[in-house]
Order: sequence, then structure tokens, then C-alpha cells
Amino acid sequence: MKAHWTLKSGAALVLATLLAGSAVAQQTSYKFGMAMPLTGGQATYGNDQVKAAQWAVEEINKKGGINGKPLEMIVMDTQADPQVGIQAVNRMISVDKVAVFVTAWSGVVKAVAPIANDNKVVELSVGANSPDISQLGDYVYTTFPLADVDIRAVAGYSAKEMGKKKAAVLFINNETGLGSATVYRDTFKKAGGEVVAYEAYDQKATDFTGPLLKIRAANPDIIHLQGLVAESPQVIAQARQLGITVPITSYSGIYNQKLIEQLGAAAENVIATSLAPGVEDSPLVKDYVDRWVKEVGRAPNGLPYTQYLYDTPALVAAVFTALDKKGIAPTGENFRKEMLAIKTFDLPLTGKVTFSEDHTVNKPVYLVEVKNGKWTKKAVVGQ
Amino acid sequence: MFDVAVVSQILWTSFATSSYFVLFAVAFALVLKVNKVFNFAQAGVMTCGFYAAYVAVRLLEWSGFAGLLAGIAGALLMSFILEHFGFAVLRQRKASPMFVFIFTLIVSQFISYAIMLVFGTWPTTIFASMFWPVTLVGGIAVSAWDVPAVAATLAVLIALWVFLRFTRYGQFMLAVADNADLAELYGIQKNKVLMISMLMAGVIVAIGMFLYGSRAQVQAAAATELMLFAVASTILGGIGNIWGAAVAAIILGIVQNSSILFIPSAWQGFLLYAFLFFAIVLFPRGFRLPERANKLKRTIRAPDALVTKQEG
Repeated sequence: MKAHWTLKSGAALVLATLLAGSAVAQQTSYKFGMAMPLTGGQATYGNDQVKAAQWAVEEINKKGGINGKPLEMIVMDTQADPQVGIQAVNRMISVDKVAVFVTAWSGVVKAVAPIANDNKVVELSVGANSPDISQLGDYVYTTFPLADVDIRAVAGYSAKEMGKKKAAVLFINNETGLGSATVYRDTFKKAGGEVVAYEAYDQKATDFTGPLLKIRAANPDIIHLQGLVAESPQVIAQARQLGITVPITSYSGIYNQKLIEQLGAAAENVIATSLAPGVEDSPLVKDYVDRWVKEVGRAPNGLPYTQYLYDTPALVAAVFTALDKKGIAPTGENFRKEMLAIKTFDLPLTGKVTFSEDHTVNKPVYLVEVKNGKWTKKAVVGQ
Repeated sequence: MFDVAVVSQILWTSFATSSYFVLFAVAFALVLKVNKVFNFAQAGVMTCGFYAAYVAVRLLEWSGFAGLLAGIAGALLMSFILEHFGFAVLRQRKASPMFVFIFTLIVSQFISYAIMLVFGTWPTTIFASMFWPVTLVGGIAVSAWDVPAVAATLAVLIALWVFLRFTRYGQFMLAVADNADLAELYGIQKNKVLMISMLMAGVIVAIGMFLYGSRAQVQAAAATELMLFAVASTILGGIGNIWGAAVAAIILGIVQNSSILFIPSAWQGFLLYAFLFFAIVLFPRGFRLPERANKLKRTIRAPDALVTKQEG
């Protein structure tokens, strides 16, 4: 009886292996999803990020793809809206049968996480930085450092290296603003500083005099601004108009040339973060930016984010290549296992990324400051 | 925080920044009074005005004044299209007010998306620099934008008042606003008057967007959010009362900004809507000034005089 059972289970195992093998053999291409805002208020970033990923896919396929099979990217629009994001991801999973998809914007990343977990499909968050992303379930991973990485770096640097004792925090009253402001406040206090003002402003505000006057009255040594690209320049302009001359720190959202054009001398002593090496740090990044200027006529919007998006297909391709070599079917479950088994990926534009067990990644933070009308490198934290 | 300098600064900045809101509210109230339309498509006219000025100043490198004229031209063109091909057709087909209202919402979104396709979604300003130098006046920071903005708004309001009060078409507009059918019986060309009202609103919002876009960044969808303030002011000012809407816009701006003296800044948006909620519940016809009530009483006495004359 026992021999009979062993024979049966052995045969089943052989059959399963053959089926899996034939599934891989029949695999004509490897698909992954890309759910980003292509329309709506965030499309400026979304379209450039998708373009970066498309370039990467083209290059991977030029070099032979996944062991000779092409890598296919299925692009869907989320409008950075959770409801639209849910529709896009449902379609990619049920119609296009992707094993892994890429998305961004904290609200969308969180809204689609249950779908990824229920269907055992890997969700790669690339660009969203809400600290909660690390706790969204077994199938949700980020390749982008979460808010606590760059905000902690800038808060710690302000207190320890710049010697600032009193900080004011000014933030937009939404999930991202509140989360990052809390991280800044706690880190600055832990580093021995005092937070003398902690002010939010409404998402629809068009004037910031009130909170800025409260901050001026508290007399801080440094101000941390956690806003959006749309209103941050105006906040800085008004701060300078009200006679607030202390350094203003922020995050990667304000790291663009346009801020300097719009503010002129008022942009001096503004410090931003970048989570990817810049043109000065890597020849590959320089080539990448040159390509943008040559083909599109400008630098990409939100350069560091596009660097991460450019690198993501390389990561996906590495996992698919490993699965293909082993003859394992490219399901979401297998993709996740293989990705965690490889664990560290060396990527062209953002360097090494290692998946931690707590679903976070750690990267060095580049601090840049406006000096004499130019963004200049100030420091690298956590190298 | 209750420092005289701080309070004065908040009051001044609130007053100066309410300038464009006053213009948006007045334009919305004018169309509501004369054309009897809750014109949410005004957001589309505002967007066209802004981007016409943007193209002139930033892309064609024209002067600021030429940019303002281009903005007015853009808004006028959009207002004309809206009235001629939209509202006039709907009036002819006797569309219900609700249908017209929905039409304005659709137009507003349509223009927003069309502009997004042409200009993208990156926020921008009319001038390359959005930093205006400041002068300290008695400890209050007055920016180089503040005084011209207040002066321009005041000039527009005076011009509108003079037009409505002393010109023939101004009187026609008030007549159409009171009773369009009766006005037509007296030989007033209703459609022409409604077109003039739309065009005037277009000029007003173009100036408002020029002021706004030279101080803050604008993207295709921004005008829709700015409209909420105009609608709130019109309701508070009393529907049909153009000057009430202007005063309400100033009061709302000051209440919202000065509330920071009493509550956390995160509550400012909430306060605006709480204020609106109670204002609408307690004053469903908006705030009315006592003088206006007296004037109304005097007007009501007219039939008595007529009766006495007839008896005599």
C-alpha cells in the first residue's frame, strides 16, 4: 500500500514538474504591469517615469530579453487616484495575468495592496514614501526608501552636523505631509533639538502668511517644509518676504531647476534631498540625463524618481531570468520567492538595493543646497 | 501671537490676496444675477485667460501688459464661444436650469483636460519669477504685488459700478436681471445683453487670473478649486447681489487667515466650511445690509402712491 502511495506521489511530482517545465517552455514573453498616473494632476511625473521604464525595457530586449524571450510592460493609468488604481490593477491581474506590477503614489499603493495580497501577485512600490508601505502585506515591497529614510537623514543632519537647536515644521495637511512631518519632529527631538513650531496648512490654501507668522514668532534656527511641488515655491517666497532668512529644508519634491528660476535669490539656503546619485556622482546618470535632453529636449521631471523607474525593469528582468533558467513558472508566488532569494540587486542608475525582511530598503541620502543660484552637493548621509 | 504687527500683517495680506477672489466672486455673481446661470464653466474661462497670458509672456516673451491683454482676449473668446454655442442654444431649446448647470460643469472639466493635453500638468506662473520684493510699512511687509493687485481690483469694481449705473447697456443688464421677458417687451435685446454680461465676466476673471498667476503656480485644474471660494462668497453675499459677493470674498479671506490666531492652522479649511454651513443655515438668502432693506421698503410704497393718484 505504502509502495503504491509512493509511486503515485512520485508520478504526480514528475507530472507537476513536466507541466511546470512545459509552462516555462511555452512562455513566449514575460509580462509585468506598470500602473502610473498618465493623466490628471500628477501626470507630469507619471509620464516621465513611464518613459524611463520604457527605455529600460527596450534596452533589456535589445540585449536578448529574458533568455531570448521579450520582456513586456503593460501600462495602465491610475491618475494617482486610488479608485482608478484599483481598476487598473484588477485589469492587469485578471486580463493580462501579470505576476508582478509596479505602481506609485502612497494612496494608490495602499489601495491596491489587498488585491496584490489576495491574488498572490507582487506589488513593487517605486517612488511612494509613506512609512506604512512596509506593513501592507506579504506581496507588497518597495524599491524606494520610505519617508523615514530621507526625512530622518535631513532631520539628523540639521541637528547634528549643522548644529541647529530649534526647528519649525510646516507641512501640507494630507497623509504624506503629516507622516513625514511626524518623522522629522521625532528625529530632530531625538537628536537633541527642540521643535518650536509645528504647523500644517490646508491642501487648497493659496496664502501661507498665518502659519509662517506663527513660525516667525517661534524664532527657529531652521524650517522643514513638507509640501507639494505646486505650492512649495510660493511658501518659500512668502517666508522670505516675511523676513524669515533661516535655512529651509525639504525633500526630493522641490529638487528641480525651476525652483531657482522662480525664486531667484530667495532660493538660497534651501536644502533638498535626493535618494539617487546625481549627474556629478555617476557617469551613467549623466548619460541618462543627456539622453533626455537629446531626445525630449529637457531634463526629466523629478529626475531621481525616473532613475528608480528606469532601474525597475532591470530588477524584474533579473528575477524572470532566474526563474526561466530554473524552469520555474513565473507566477506571483514564485516571483516573490525568487526575488527574496536573490535579495540584492545592483541597478544601473540607483546602485545596490537589498530587500530587508521588514519590507523596507536602505539607501544613502544625497543632500543638495542652493548656493549662488545653483543646486550644489552638500553631503551624503548614510553612505 | 497676538502681537499688533502679526495681526496687522495677517489683515493686510488677507486683504491683498482677497483681490483675485473678489474678482472671481463678482464675475460669478454677475452672470448669476443677469444670465441666471450657476456658471461653473467660469473655471474654463479662467483657465483660458491664464494660459493666453502665459503663452504671451513666457513663450512669446511679450511684455506683462501685452500678456494681460492676451489673457483678456483669451477669456473673451472663451466667453463668447460659451454663450454663443452653449447657453444661447440651450435657452433656445428651453433646457432646464439643472441641465444648464450640468453643462457648465462638463465644459469646465472639458477645458481643463484640453488645456492639460496642450500644456501638460506641470504648474507654472505668468512671469518666470514669482518672488516679489517687499517694503516694510510700519512693520508690515507689503510686497510689490500687493498694492497693484488691490488697485487693479478696485479699478475693476468702480468701472463695473459705473457701467451698471450710468450706461445704457448697464441699465439693460439690470432690467434683464429683474425680468428678462418684460425687458424684451420693452425692446431690450435679451440675447445681446446676456452676451455682454458673459463678456464682462470674462474680462473680470482674466484680470483676476493674471493677478493670481503672477503670484502663485497654476495648472490646468487649479481654476476649479479657486471657483469654490467664488461660489461660497456669492452665496454668503446674497444671490443676486454682486457687491455683497465682493464684500463676502474679503470677509471670508480675512476670517480664514486670521483664524490662525485662535485655532491650529490645519483647521483653517474646516473653519471656512463650518462658517459657510452655519451662514447658509442661518441666512439662506445671504447677508443683507440694513440700508438695502430700507430702500426696498421705500420701493414698496410706490403702488400706494399710484392708488391715491388713481382715486384722485
